[in-house]
Amino acid sequence: MEAKSPGASTPCRKPVLSGSARKLKDNAADWHNFVMKWDRLNDEGSTIANQIVNLKLSKEAVKEADIAEDGGQTAITQRTGSASAAAAELEDRCSALVVILEKMAHLVSKMEKLASSTKGVCELQEFQQERTGVCAPLFHTWPVTHFDEVSSRLLRSYTEELALKEVIVGEIAHTCRSDLALVYLSCWLYQPYLEQSSTVQLESLLLETGHRPL
Amino acid sequence: MLLKVLPLDTGDAGTQRCRLGPGLMASLGLRIGSPVHITISGGECLCTAWPRSDQADGFLQLDTKCTTKDLKAINFNNLSVSLEQIKAICSQKLKGVRVNVVVQCIEVKKHSSGFIHDLVKEMLRGMCVARQYIVDVSHLKTQVELILIEHIDPFCTDSGFITSKTSVNIGEIKTLNNYRCELQKSPSILLGGLEDVCASLKEILSLPLRYPETLQKLGLSYPKGVLLIGPPGVGKTMLVRNVVMEVSAALITVNGPVILGSRPGESEENLRRTFKQASEAAQEGPCVLFIDEIDSLCPRRAGSTSAPQNRVVAQLLTLMDGIGSDARFVIIGATNQPDTLDPALRRPGRFDREVIIGVPTLHQRKSILDVLSSKMSLSDDVDFVALAEMTTGYVGADLSALCREAALQAILRGSQDSQSQKIDMKHFLEALKKVQPSCLRSSIGLTDFKPISWDQIGGLEDVKLKLTQSIEWPMKFPEAFIRLGLSRPRGVLLYGPPGCAKTTLVKAAASSSHCAFLSVSGADLFSPFVGDSEKALAQLFRQARACAPSILFLDEIDSILGSRSDSRAPHSVQARMLSVLLNELDGVGFKVQERRGTQRESCHLEGSTEFQQEQQMDCQEVCNQDVMIVAATNRPGALDSALLRPGRLDQIIYVPPPDMEARLAILEICTKRMPLESDVCLKELARQTILFSGADLENLCKEAALSTLQEEGMDASSIKHRYFIKSLQSMTPSLKGQQIDHYQQLFTS
Amino acid sequence: MSKPALMSLHQALKRSFHSLEQNHKVWNSVLEECVPLMGSLGNLAEQLLALNGVQMASTPLARFSDLQDRLRCKLLVAVDTILDKLADKMCSLQKVRDAVGNQVTAAFQVYEQHADTLDLTTCLQRSAAAPSVADMLEWLQDAERYYRQQYLRRKALLQALKPGELSDLQNAHRRWEALATPEREDSVSDTLFRVSFFMDSP
Repeated sequence: MEAKSPGASTPCRKPVLSGSARKLKDNAADWHNFVMKWDRLNDEGSTIANQIVNLKLSKEAVKEADIAEDGGQTAITQRTGSASAAAAELEDRCSALVVILEKMAHLVSKMEKLASSTKGVCELQEFQQERTGVCAPLFHTWPVTHFDEVSSRLLRSYTEELALKEVIVGEIAHTCRSDLALVYLSCWLYQPYLEQSSTVQLESLLLETGHRPL
Repeated sequence: MLLKVLPLDTGDAGTQRCRLGPGLMASLGLRIGSPVHITISGGECLCTAWPRSDQADGFLQLDTKCTTKDLKAINFNNLSVSLEQIKAICSQKLKGVRVNVVVQCIEVKKHSSGFIHDLVKEMLRGMCVARQYIVDVSHLKTQVELILIEHIDPFCTDSGFITSKTSVNIGEIKTLNNYRCELQKSPSILLGGLEDVCASLKEILSLPLRYPETLQKLGLSYPKGVLLIGPPGVGKTMLVRNVVMEVSAALITVNGPVILGSRPGESEENLRRTFKQASEAAQEGPCVLFIDEIDSLCPRRAGSTSAPQNRVVAQLLTLMDGIGSDARFVIIGATNQPDTLDPALRRPGRFDREVIIGVPTLHQRKSILDVLSSKMSLSDDVDFVALAEMTTGYVGADLSALCREAALQAILRGSQDSQSQKIDMKHFLEALKKVQPSCLRSSIGLTDFKPISWDQIGGLEDVKLKLTQSIEWPMKFPEAFIRLGLSRPRGVLLYGPPGCAKTTLVKAAASSSHCAFLSVSGADLFSPFVGDSEKALAQLFRQARACAPSILFLDEIDSILGSRSDSRAPHSVQARMLSVLLNELDGVGFKVQERRGTQRESCHLEGSTEFQQEQQMDCQEVCNQDVMIVAATNRPGALDSALLRPGRLDQIIYVPPPDMEARLAILEICTKRMPLESDVCLKELARQTILFSGADLENLCKEAALSTLQEEGMDASSIKHRYFIKSLQSMTPSLKGQQIDHYQQLFTS
Repeated sequence: MSKPALMSLHQALKRSFHSLEQNHKVWNSVLEECVPLMGSLGNLAEQLLALNGVQMASTPLARFSDLQDRLRCKLLVAVDTILDKLADKMCSLQKVRDAVGNQVTAAFQVYEQHADTLDLTTCLQRSAAAPSVADMLEWLQDAERYYRQQYLRRKALLQALKPGELSDLQNAHRRWEALATPEREDSVSDTLFRVSFFMDSP
């Protein structure tokens, strides 16, 4: 992936790109990079979320066991000791997850900028086309507006996903129901708001802009 | 040389190998892995020959993966096999096989037939199979349980190996349950006398179950429900079993009462489950859901009955309406009380066909007896026609009880003289005394009396003759009545002073005509509940009709019925009873479920003796559908005149007090078993006992005997004349001359 | 007179055993690769079950109205992906099965060809270096049957799985593991041990 990812001097068919095309191409590369970064963050977060849920559930189990049996004094102190250690651990993991979420939020704000810049370019291009009456596609086939559509759709799904993740981060350490915790985890991992189609659209964006060889 | 059969090594299970000693293999000319055919324990088995690892001869181990149907699943304990039972066969590679597959559950059949094909093909690879053999693959624990080899190609070979190039063709896929059902099919139950009903039911069932497409093409809707109506014991359940088996449908039987549960909603749930089960079975093949005693499930929905009952009825209706028109699914309900069923159940679209099985006719009884006795060893003197004549009102179940009882009698008697165990007519007659027809059981009118012959009644010869004419002849010689265009009397009224053997006369008539005898007096009928007595009387008539020809004897009829002219109590029980009786006497017709047999056209060759006999039986049957009502009273004046007009109690017989000769006869009968001194002159006694009734005379003899014992001590050997005279002096006749005059004038004027 | 026949049969058997040895390794490695896949299948089923069990409206996730459907869709896609992978594995297993099956058939064919010259006593003769022909044929057949049955049962298990039936899916990995018949598997390994001398002999 990295090898193929867009650099400054990707060979193109057109030797010189006009300003708008240049910009759109760079934006596409940025989209790709952001999505890669997001995926990486998501994987990290997923691991952490898993740990949180495991800690939380095992703590619940310990609590229940404590209620169930009045063991010897030593056992209890030991257990409380381990419990406090677990609590610290949980705290630690939670803050790690919050950090990841912050990074993701930062990423989404970058995506927003990207989308608005794409939008601007597209509007400009449209305006020019209207004036000159030429409406040749900038790259291969896509009309100019399509870039805007793709980028805003991507932005929409990531924004939505971020909102979901915010809720999950807020709640994941506070649920005692294992099935709900499991739902949080699968939500985090499988990112329901990132549809299969958005990946396809991103790929076709990269194809169109010439980052991927046809 | 015998080979001992040992259990199979676990490693060889499912390998189709049989393990033989190398010596044996060499002598049979077997190579490693070549096919052998083993005949063992009633079945046959195909295996591949492998040498035993210890190379010992004299033992045989075999895997029964590929066997014929009749090989019992057994562990071959202590079994030996001779060399002739093992045969080497030469097998070639098969081009193709056609198989039927037995799978675990219906889902498999529905969803993955393509996969089943692959699975079966894979399972069969490398196997040696033959036509009509069953390959057991249940040890693989897949959805497929058994593979039945239908055909093999090339056709001329008996057996062969299936290779990867053999084409496997799957004919039919059925579930294990279905397959087991088919295996369990017992030889068809023989039904006697139900051929017509059976045929009509079969017709109803076979159309929707076998040819649904044709019906759909014609745009016909066929009956989804059949209601079988008939008294208990006529063989409703057996009929259904038989017919279902003949149209080869799956049968799911439910008893109405089993469905009912105590928890709220439980009954409905049970009902739904049953229907679900049936519709699942229906997806596989035609299916019949048989609800026995449906009346318990679906009583009439009236305002007063409990809500749970109503809910069950509603549920049943919903379920019946919900049966898809494409489902090959028929519901049969059976009941003996169709009147108590909810009427909504009997409308078209639900139970839209009703098949009525009546109490068997003479003919049917004979054929039932023939069927029942087909496996009994009978002696030659057993006459089933006579037996059938005697068993009016007996249903199939009664007749089978009769045969059982007769066989039991034969065994009990036979053990004494240890002769050949054959069932004689006398055994049947003995059994007949013990087995009552079920329609009479629990009847209030059923009386158990010792058969009385005419000879036991002294005198009254002309009364006896009249009774014989009006009761016995129509029953015994109906064809003569028909020949002469004579209609038989509907009812007989016996009247006369008390104690003059009216009851005894009727009993004698009943016993000589061999028909069912129901006897009631007022006390039997009266009940403190309003309407109960009338119901009991109507029920009595229904029962009498069910086992017609029968005699219904109403003793002391004056106490049962009042006269309408009697102004004291116009709406008393008696008056209501009278109206019931009048109603029943010239009742317009039978209720539907009381019907006898079914209409039947005989298509026999004219002139054959069998035909004649049959015709005679038919005739007897037709004429004997009536109930003979015999009433007795000693107050004929108190009876309503409507009762006495022709067509009702049309034969009125006066039973006079005994005259001189009759008294003599009575005395002779009474003293038959008494040792009399030679000086006793019965003629003299008869002369002196004017106005004595038969009962009085019997009493006189008793008194005389008692006083003998009193005077002469306990060891008196005979009765002397003077004791008779002595008792005579102390007794007064119970009849009065004036009373007798009254009787005599009553109907003669 | 039966010597050359025996020799060629031994050659055929050797070829078969060599092939069996290789394929056995392949078989086991493929089976091992299947285990984590089955595990994640069970995992996914559990997640789907949890999703079905949760009333979204009563959780903090209530404001995401279409979340439940979206997540279910995602999970089902994941299930499909795993099933696809498993199908690939099954293909590899099938290849092993077919390879072994062909080898065994070939060995039997050679035996059939020479069966007239090889009498039963020769076939039953064992020596220190080589097991008897009968034994070896039996082992080969056993091994082939092992692969066939295993393949069949595993295939049947996968075939019966439907994404809709979650409890089935959840138990799939347990049932998958229950399908293993260690004693049969061991017997294949044993066979390979027993014939190792024979295989190495020229």
